[in-house]
Amino acid sequence: MTTVADALTGADASTAAEPAPERAGRPALNKVSVRDLKFFYGDTLAIKGVSLNLEANRVTAFIGPSGCGKSTLLRVLNRMYDLYPRQRAEGEVLLDGQNILDPAMDLNLLRARIGMVFQKPTPFPMSIYENIAFGIRLYEKLPKSELDGRVEKALQGAALWNEVKDKLSASGLSLSGGQQQRLCIARTVALKPDVILLDEPCSALDPISTARVEELIDELKGQYTIAIVTHNMQQAARCSDYTAFMYLGELIEFGDTQRMFTSPTQKQTQQYITGRFG
Amino acid sequence: MTDVAMRDQPARRTMDAGRAAVLSRFRTFDAVFGGLTLAAAVFVLVLLGSVIVSLIIGSMPAFRAFGLGFLTSQVWNPNDDVYGALGAIYGTIVTSVIAMAIAIPVGLGIAVFLSELCPFALRKPIGMAIELLAGIPSIIYGIWGLFIFAPFVQSYVEPPLIAVLGPIPGIGALFQGPPYGIGVLTAGIILGIMVLPFISSVSRDVFATVPPVLKEAGYGLGCTTWEVVKNIVIPFSRTGVIGGVMLALGRALGETMAVTFVIGNAHRISASVLSPGTTISAAIANEFTEAVGDLYTSSLIALGLILFVITFIVLAIARYMLLRIQRRAGV
Repeated sequence: MTTVADALTGADASTAAEPAPERAGRPALNKVSVRDLKFFYGDTLAIKGVSLNLEANRVTAFIGPSGCGKSTLLRVLNRMYDLYPRQRAEGEVLLDGQNILDPAMDLNLLRARIGMVFQKPTPFPMSIYENIAFGIRLYEKLPKSELDGRVEKALQGAALWNEVKDKLSASGLSLSGGQQQRLCIARTVALKPDVILLDEPCSALDPISTARVEELIDELKGQYTIAIVTHNMQQAARCSDYTAFMYLGELIEFGDTQRMFTSPTQKQTQQYITGRFG
Repeated sequence: MTDVAMRDQPARRTMDAGRAAVLSRFRTFDAVFGGLTLAAAVFVLVLLGSVIVSLIIGSMPAFRAFGLGFLTSQVWNPNDDVYGALGAIYGTIVTSVIAMAIAIPVGLGIAVFLSELCPFALRKPIGMAIELLAGIPSIIYGIWGLFIFAPFVQSYVEPPLIAVLGPIPGIGALFQGPPYGIGVLTAGIILGIMVLPFISSVSRDVFATVPPVLKEAGYGLGCTTWEVVKNIVIPFSRTGVIGGVMLALGRALGETMAVTFVIGNAHRISASVLSPGTTISAAIANEFTEAVGDLYTSSLIALGLILFVITFIVLAIARYMLLRIQRRAGV
């Protein structure tokens, strides 16, 4: 569908609102469908009618200059904005066909299904073990041995187990920045969510930790649907299957990552990925 | 540009001279000002020191007469000139414990409500109302306590307590005897109301130091507000909250006027919190005017010294706790 915003930016309706970018030989399964989403901070319109799909078991990267609405979009997907007054979303966001913007939606259960990792590592003020076990305990009553197993699996899943297995009772805050971020990913994964949202997960990390997290994203996509916001173009190119380029609250172009970075159809996309603005 | 600067040269020299004069005047002023502020600071220290010294000197006769037994005896008999501080120490501690038992949960509840749950439009007004509670003079609490609250406690709170909790073995001993209305329990409740604003405003301020993203991470796992508060907000701000509680405790230990009105002023230790008792500060306020004889006066001063030591320790712990959280927030 064509929105006013599309017309204003000169975006071709077929690319901007492309419902599901097809990949040859495999039917696309859309885990999350965003339909004409508008988002308001008070009276300010921050997302101006965006429609796109997140395909299951694929990584979708959101790129664009600061303030373009990509982090805001991510915060709509788990309704984090609900914590704050005067922020509201219009439109539809379907998770497995269910509209999560419905006021009757159980936010606690929603957020267990859609995990989020933040820009800055956010270990809780408790031990490494507890950081993981805490989230699991919210939803499941497990005997100690099984809980231990789940914690170990989550830490292994986040490639952190070998580094922390001897100090599980140490504070989560005692880890390095990169380790803390992987701890947060482990914490998110431990809940077995359907979708993982990563909001610039590597912006506070050094290159080595970044590489580790990227490897991790690659491993995780086998089981999860992942959306990642990043300012790092190479990162988007390296670890995503689809890329969405947003600018000033609008979705300018959305498609297969390889195609986006080799032959973008929109002039703005081309300018942004070649570093000419933003 | 250059020639303009050249033309300004003579003027500049006189300006420099004027500036030098001003500067030298300021240097003198700085020295005087520095000296004055130093004097003010020293004055406070000297004052504090002389209070301690005069308390110690004043209490010497009592300690010489009764030794350490002054601390362990509850006999307080002006007729025989025999004094022991235990009754007052006990009353001070018990009223403070009751006050804390009331003020900590309610104060924390208010702080959690204000920082996490309250609609944004109501945060300011409710916060201010609670801080206004701290501004009510203690004599007003005393009058209100004596004329309104104590009779209310006597007719509506104590009889059910005696009926329900009295017969229970063990803790029942705390709730036996006639309902006087005036007594340790009433004093403790009023103290609790008085220190509530300290706990709630300090806790609210330290809750505000929890990074929003940490709370979001908790909510992001699907935590309820209660789970976020219990597992993230309170552990993160634990030292600050303890500091606030200690400040409130210091206030409760030393509070005089309101307590004197409602505690009954009896120098004895009763198992029941319904019976009259006294606290250190209430005893001093009550008896100083009638203290004839050196030993009586000295014993009251010794009570003051004991209170000074207790509150000093509590406040030192409070300062230390608050310092720790400030240091962490600064990093």
